[in-house]
Amino acid sequence: MKITDKLIASIDKKLERFDPIWQAEHGTGGQRSRYYDKTGVEKYREWRGVKDTMYDYSQWLKNLGSMGLMVGRNPVRVVKGMWEYRWMGSYLGTFIFINRLFEGYRGVELRIAHMNMHQIVASLTRLIGRVLANDKRLGGGPISDTMVPMDEVIPPLFMKGFKELTGIPLQLLPEFIICDIDQHLPPHYIDVSESFGLAADVCSRCSVETGVAFDDAFPIFGKAFLTTNMPCNASECTSMFQRRRINLPDMPMTFAMQHNTKEGNEFSVEVLKDAVNFVEEQYGVKYDWDNLFKYAKELNEQNTIEMEKWEFFKTPYSPLSGISETLYKLYEWAASNGTEHRFTKNDRKVIKIMRKCYDEKYKAFGGKTRHRAFMWGPSAVYYTDMPTWCQNCWGITLVLNMDSTMGHNMISTEDPDQAIKDLARMSEKAVMRHHAVGGWENVNALWDWAKAFNCDMILFNDNIACKGMNGVHAVMEEQARELGLHFIFIEHDLEDYRACPRRDMRKCVSNYMSIVLNEEPLDPTLVDFDDSEAY
Amino acid sequence: MKKGLKITSKVLGKLLIAGLIGFIVTFTVYMFNLENKLIYYVIRPFLNKHYDSQVRDKRIV
Amino acid sequence: MKDLKHLIYFENLLQDAQNELVTKAVEDGKYALGYNCFYIPEVLLNLPGCFSSRLRAPRCSSSEVANYYMTTRNCPYVRSILERAIEGGYNYLNALFGAESCAAMERMEEHFDLLHPVKNDKFFVTIMDPPMKGDKTNLNYYKVELMKNLVNPLRDNLGVDVSDKAMRQAIEEHNELCRVITEIGNFRKLPNPPITGYEFHVIQLVSEVCPHYLILPYLKETLEELKTREPEPEFPFRAKVVVVGSEIDDPEFTKLIETCGAMVAADRYCFGSFPGREQIEIREGESAFDAICRHYLYWSQCARFMDGEKIDQRHREVEHLVKEFGADGVIFENMKFCEFWSYEKILASHIFINELNIPCCTIEKEYALGSVGQLRTRFQAFIESLEIKNIQGGA
Repeated sequence: MKITDKLIASIDKKLERFDPIWQAEHGTGGQRSRYYDKTGVEKYREWRGVKDTMYDYSQWLKNLGSMGLMVGRNPVRVVKGMWEYRWMGSYLGTFIFINRLFEGYRGVELRIAHMNMHQIVASLTRLIGRVLANDKRLGGGPISDTMVPMDEVIPPLFMKGFKELTGIPLQLLPEFIICDIDQHLPPHYIDVSESFGLAADVCSRCSVETGVAFDDAFPIFGKAFLTTNMPCNASECTSMFQRRRINLPDMPMTFAMQHNTKEGNEFSVEVLKDAVNFVEEQYGVKYDWDNLFKYAKELNEQNTIEMEKWEFFKTPYSPLSGISETLYKLYEWAASNGTEHRFTKNDRKVIKIMRKCYDEKYKAFGGKTRHRAFMWGPSAVYYTDMPTWCQNCWGITLVLNMDSTMGHNMISTEDPDQAIKDLARMSEKAVMRHHAVGGWENVNALWDWAKAFNCDMILFNDNIACKGMNGVHAVMEEQARELGLHFIFIEHDLEDYRACPRRDMRKCVSNYMSIVLNEEPLDPTLVDFDDSEAY
Repeated sequence: MKKGLKITSKVLGKLLIAGLIGFIVTFTVYMFNLENKLIYYVIRPFLNKHYDSQVRDKRIV
Repeated sequence: MKDLKHLIYFENLLQDAQNELVTKAVEDGKYALGYNCFYIPEVLLNLPGCFSSRLRAPRCSSSEVANYYMTTRNCPYVRSILERAIEGGYNYLNALFGAESCAAMERMEEHFDLLHPVKNDKFFVTIMDPPMKGDKTNLNYYKVELMKNLVNPLRDNLGVDVSDKAMRQAIEEHNELCRVITEIGNFRKLPNPPITGYEFHVIQLVSEVCPHYLILPYLKETLEELKTREPEPEFPFRAKVVVVGSEIDDPEFTKLIETCGAMVAADRYCFGSFPGREQIEIREGESAFDAICRHYLYWSQCARFMDGEKIDQRHREVEHLVKEFGADGVIFENMKFCEFWSYEKILASHIFINELNIPCCTIEKEYALGSVGQLRTRFQAFIESLEIKNIQGGA
């Protein structure tokens, strides 16, 4: 064993000059040196030392295996799907996406990041396979009529009460996930919706969804459609088009916008009950509470573990942060939401590692963290790999993102009346919605979150098309000043990189770090570079 | 017995060689990012060309 | 046509949020209750001892301070209202009853609480969560929200009588006003009406921004005047249109359309009379409050309603107005940066043109009517197309 370690150490020593972190420290290069200009394509993968490179390689194989499995299960449908849907082509960018996300990751943080990412890949490939296998546009399949298209923001757990049915977040594949992977996809759909007269100043995420509907690019399945008013105004509007284009009986689940009130919660309960009745009528099935409870237990365990993770996040000894935390939580909540045991199993393993790290006072990222930031950012965080870049370039650890703070209340596993109340509460606090609607106090909570997680900095993604958040622009800035927090607005146009390129987004941070804080970058090659042609 | 051992070791040897070749090939693909280069420079441009030429049923409702 | 006796007086009343009638009512000891949105039933703000004031920001040419607070990328209507509040233009208000009908509106109303721009000791703000569907579940929630955010605060903060009797009285008075406005508006159905769209717009606006008990005598007098008013010898416009959209509280906009050649025959927009001037009916066994909630939920044509029935209703209603008022087409307006009406604009125009065979012109505008060259060109072209269509026999 010792000999192996010695051998590895000697190889590491010999090859260290290829390690971008070493290069940045010694002024011979850095992370960006490995890339072809503009493209986001690496000339070669990151050399992380023998152990970490081999680990990364093994995880690459594992992810490749999941994709192979998806194709192997139904090769004809996958090829047909790839040929039919533009958004399917974008999934080919997944490996480049993963590479960028975990750039600079070593040791435990790399392991946890891959453990989390693999669950996403495995779950997503299964979902893609299932949707394509039953897409009526491609010929339908055995469960085409027992699938229920539902809005991506409705928690999938709710649908588990329908034992015979499969709830599929409709926009998840053509828009929600893929726009986080490939920045070149959304402009196509945005252009389609704008070509029909949609104003260019509406939220780009919703414009994409509308474009997918106009472009006839949603997969077709199910007998009735569940839409929702979540998370925001533009999203409500997209439903109006989708319901007509999809042309199925529909039921908008209009949860309370003001979700901190007793009355709001009671209303949302009624909305859920109406939805149960609607699905029962349309599909001729009965809601099975026991089946819901079974999966609620999964979600409760995931949430319990999440709460424990949060305790570690508050300390300097968490190997889980940034993109591997927020992307995982986003997917786990929005796409799986207790319906897949794989996430619970993974959470159990991850928390064990985190406990150990805390006991050993493990400092992630080589102890190079200079600032601890709370992030307020939706999808522009992901395709830009912003958290990873912040860490590698400026030593800013993204402790928690707003996407991770959505509905984490427990769901009763015994009492249907209580369970539906809990479900309503969780639904009201769905992705992007928890903070963005329902009044100032939900935005104002940002300071408490930052304080609770011992953050000295807030990175506030400033979506230029978000009317709700634009509406509190100055008040946020004034409060940050009063509270003495470093507060950086990162201007972006969510999914339309043409209005706010990622290079300009990075500049918002770099300017603050260099001009206001007078700090030096950890990796100078990352300060300013052109990756406009990257996915 | 000896023959059995010989066959087993032969099979194992072949598996090892296959594994080694498999490792060398996949590791080369991995390390030199070949799959992403293929996707970025060949497959996606080809697919995009196809998507751009598609006639879709574009309409509001 | 001979000028309407009170038109200039009405126009003057629209020059400031706190006009002379508002000042008079405040001096009479009435509570001034502000609101922005149809979701807040005007009738409830006219309970005994109160009067409603739908907020406008007349003559607002720039909103620089509000831009600082809400960015220039937000609805110009809400920015203008906030700007006017910061300027001190609403200091007469005792309360603002807001609704989270859209994110921009809600944020603007929140600033009334965060920045305390209204210098009035009794001033308070509530913001309700309005429904997004027309079904029973949403009606019940609407009732709960109105009770919590409007009726109870009126009673608890200002000591207003909110009894069923008081509400019935308020409904009666409200219906009286609605009857007068509707009668005035109905003249627009005539082939050669004795009233222009602009004049009606002014009349409708004063009925929304002035205390009802003070403006009603003038409106009644105007109604009588219209009954004998001689129209132009020949219909002076080239076409009739229905204007549909969001906040249009500047009669100059209507005037612009009319100077381009089309009479605005019906006004289906926020601040318009459709909806807003329908009389409230109390059904057998129904409380006044329940009747109000049912009425407003039914009549609301807001673009934020998501259920198929309400979506269809708002398109049917426009179709109905086009027929009823003999209009040749629809001008569909949305305020810049408005998510709801931006989306609704493309859906509705598609339905009008392709499914209902109603010519439709869509435009986007700022709150303040500044440079109107582009709009004028659009209107002229549209009106010309309507005219050609009429000449060709509606083909």
